[in-house]
Amino acid sequence: MKVSKNELKASLIKAFEGLGFQPGDYYDAADMVVWLEAHGFDGFDRLQAALVYLNTTAPIHADLVQEDAHNSVLDGRGTSILLCGSEAVDLIRSQVMQGSSASLELINCYNRTFVIQRLVKAAQRNLAFVAYWRQLDYCVKVSIEAGAQLPEYKTFTMIEAVEPQSLRIFCDTNLVAIEKQYAAQLEFGSLVETYSAEEMLACYRDSVEQGIEIDKALWQTLDDLVARVLVESTESSRAGAGD
Amino acid sequence: MHNRAHNTYNSDDMTVLPMRPASQVMQLERLGSFHQSRLSFMRTLVRHMVSENWQISSSVFDLDEQGYGTVVYQIAAKYGTFSYVLFSHYLDPENRNDRVIADQWDLTMALCEGTVDTKQLDFLRNNVPKQEAGRVDSRVLVLSRANRSARTFEYVVNELAHGHQPNVDVIAEVGYLYRTTAVYGSGKLGMADWEKVRTKHRDFGRPFAAEMFTCYMLRHFSMQQADYLAAQRAPESAASLHEDIKRYIGIGNSTGLGMAPFLINHPLLINQWIEMRETALATVVAASKSGVDEATRARLDTATQRVIQHLGEIVTSDERQNNANILLREELQLLHLWLEEQGAALESNHYVWASLTQYAEQHWHIETQEVINTLLIELYPELVDGLEEQMGVDESHQITPEMPVAELLEVIEDKYAWALAIDFSKHESKGTFWYRSEEKMEPRLGQTDIDMGMEKEMPLAVGRRVRECYDQVYSYNQARSEQNVAHFIMQNPTYSGIVARIQTMAQSHYGDIRENLVHSDVLPIHLLRCKLSFFGVSKFDPRSRLWVRNTMFQGAPLISDFGKSFVDDWQFPIKPALRSS
Repeated sequence: MKVSKNELKASLIKAFEGLGFQPGDYYDAADMVVWLEAHGFDGFDRLQAALVYLNTTAPIHADLVQEDAHNSVLDGRGTSILLCGSEAVDLIRSQVMQGSSASLELINCYNRTFVIQRLVKAAQRNLAFVAYWRQLDYCVKVSIEAGAQLPEYKTFTMIEAVEPQSLRIFCDTNLVAIEKQYAAQLEFGSLVETYSAEEMLACYRDSVEQGIEIDKALWQTLDDLVARVLVESTESSRAGAGD
Repeated sequence: MHNRAHNTYNSDDMTVLPMRPASQVMQLERLGSFHQSRLSFMRTLVRHMVSENWQISSSVFDLDEQGYGTVVYQIAAKYGTFSYVLFSHYLDPENRNDRVIADQWDLTMALCEGTVDTKQLDFLRNNVPKQEAGRVDSRVLVLSRANRSARTFEYVVNELAHGHQPNVDVIAEVGYLYRTTAVYGSGKLGMADWEKVRTKHRDFGRPFAAEMFTCYMLRHFSMQQADYLAAQRAPESAASLHEDIKRYIGIGNSTGLGMAPFLINHPLLINQWIEMRETALATVVAASKSGVDEATRARLDTATQRVIQHLGEIVTSDERQNNANILLREELQLLHLWLEEQGAALESNHYVWASLTQYAEQHWHIETQEVINTLLIELYPELVDGLEEQMGVDESHQITPEMPVAELLEVIEDKYAWALAIDFSKHESKGTFWYRSEEKMEPRLGQTDIDMGMEKEMPLAVGRRVRECYDQVYSYNQARSEQNVAHFIMQNPTYSGIVARIQTMAQSHYGDIRENLVHSDVLPIHLLRCKLSFFGVSKFDPRSRLWVRNTMFQGAPLISDFGKSFVDDWQFPIKPALRSS
């Protein structure tokens, strides 16, 4: 079945609310899933993977474990980027807005691909980002120029050990400055795959024109989560609707 | 946001006066006193349909002798082609229910892009009548349904079948033949996203244009069906509805609590609508800088008399609304006297409309003030109609993480003083809560300590949440004043949503609605009326504090009027000077 972006977002917002997310969190998480799916990043598969965890654990956020003017380390405590991605990106944004480039490491977190949407949104405030993380035997690198609507997404072979559940983010006012400042940390092996902005845009346009295909079972799963925020209807409650 | 309105909508020879402050405009009672204006979505749509001469004809008109069946209208608008597909069903009067929880209706409709072939028509026939229980696809822009008026439909058909025109007084009492009970767009139930509508279909690229058009077409069908049924019953002698009566027939609408959360969940959009309306008002007040001529004064006086007559023709059983209408009529008579008293001075005094609005604020009721504002905006279409293209906005909320927490405190104290002034320790300040019912997720208002579901409360109590956030930020600032908002949210992640709202809305001109929406005595009907005024409805008929009946497109031009010369003054409809023959 197909759903529109709006309908999907509305359902996800309530589903995440049903999972115990707070208002800021459930809007951000819904945006992340919709963006990834609409741009061809398998958002639904990643959501299903995340739900295994989210459905059994109360929402938790990352802890700030180390910070100076240019660097910070967050411990995700095993949580999902759907819950801690926003705060990580906001933290690094705040550092750059105070005058310099910054790097952030988020350890012990899952579903890291979702962070792309947060980076794209933050880039609209004229900030550039580079992020990378290990995905199986590869390293994923995402770059987005200040003000750009779409990122550059590439995978590389790994040339040195990368913590399996960590995410590194670098931020400055433009990509050239990031690549120069953090050159040593942004060396990867050979290029494996590129997912181009043109491909993302084509996927997105199709999502807007035709709607987004969603598996009925996943839609039902979301409906079941939405049901958690609904209140039983009674004669008394009908009076609260104007009867 | 406010800078754009201030800086870009200045006429060459005119200065825009300061707009009214948020502390005045964003009071719930005032928002609930708004009336439609030239910027209302129905008004804008009608202007475009008439001036662009949209061509509308039925490619399928397959009704049986009872008026049940299928109708498809083809619409050739300025930029695109659309199809309006309508299914007319038998409905047991016992099952006729205006509430969102209903599952059967007299009519169900879909507005589709392009033309509809047989296969798509079958698909729509299998889904549109089910409404929320069905699924459509992205070729559909709007889905809606409607019920017949028990008081007028059969009466009108019967009169026409007997060769008579219906009594205008009967029409006036109700105002319509059909009442729509829901109009869905924006991607619900598989339909096209607003983004698609906005970017692909320029004819409907303004907020709610497609939804309003769906109601307009329902109005057209309702009269066509009445004529058709009368002709079926008396092929030789039936009359057709007189065109003046047709123009006086609108579409009924029932609006309940479902509309209320929209205003809270789309604060940037509501801010934009209000900002444009206030920009229009400030612009027309500025236009009176060197006085106003006699013709302008006369137009205002004539329009005022029309509103007085319009109000006198409204029938409502709601005592509060009835009293408000009576008071409004009395005070508008005083406006007539005020204009007379000003006499020739109107032509020479500076900013006479500023004098009028100030006088109204000092002497007359809030609803009278807002009707006068609407009437003033009507006087200068050339100055305000361009604002119709600025009613949309990017609704993204964004945290400003580098803001020091001390500054966040100042922002809250400055922009949300109204929220901080509420004493939430009082029981009545938390006397109600909003929740979604399992019945079609219908929003409902519960009473704290009485109704179930408080733990599933919808986050609409913005004022209370701001208060809680302020207290938390205040404590945080005591201990860690060197920190910024990013740090605060790291420590207090449950406040990220309200902080994003505060920081985003603080940059808008009007910001949030200034009311405790969970107070025991809250009147949600003000929220409904505010949104409905931007739609452009008239004849508010509250049925309780939770839902309101009203009339859409009453007085509007007919399809047969498209392309002809047109005076855009159909608001505040009055009875045509015609009696049953």
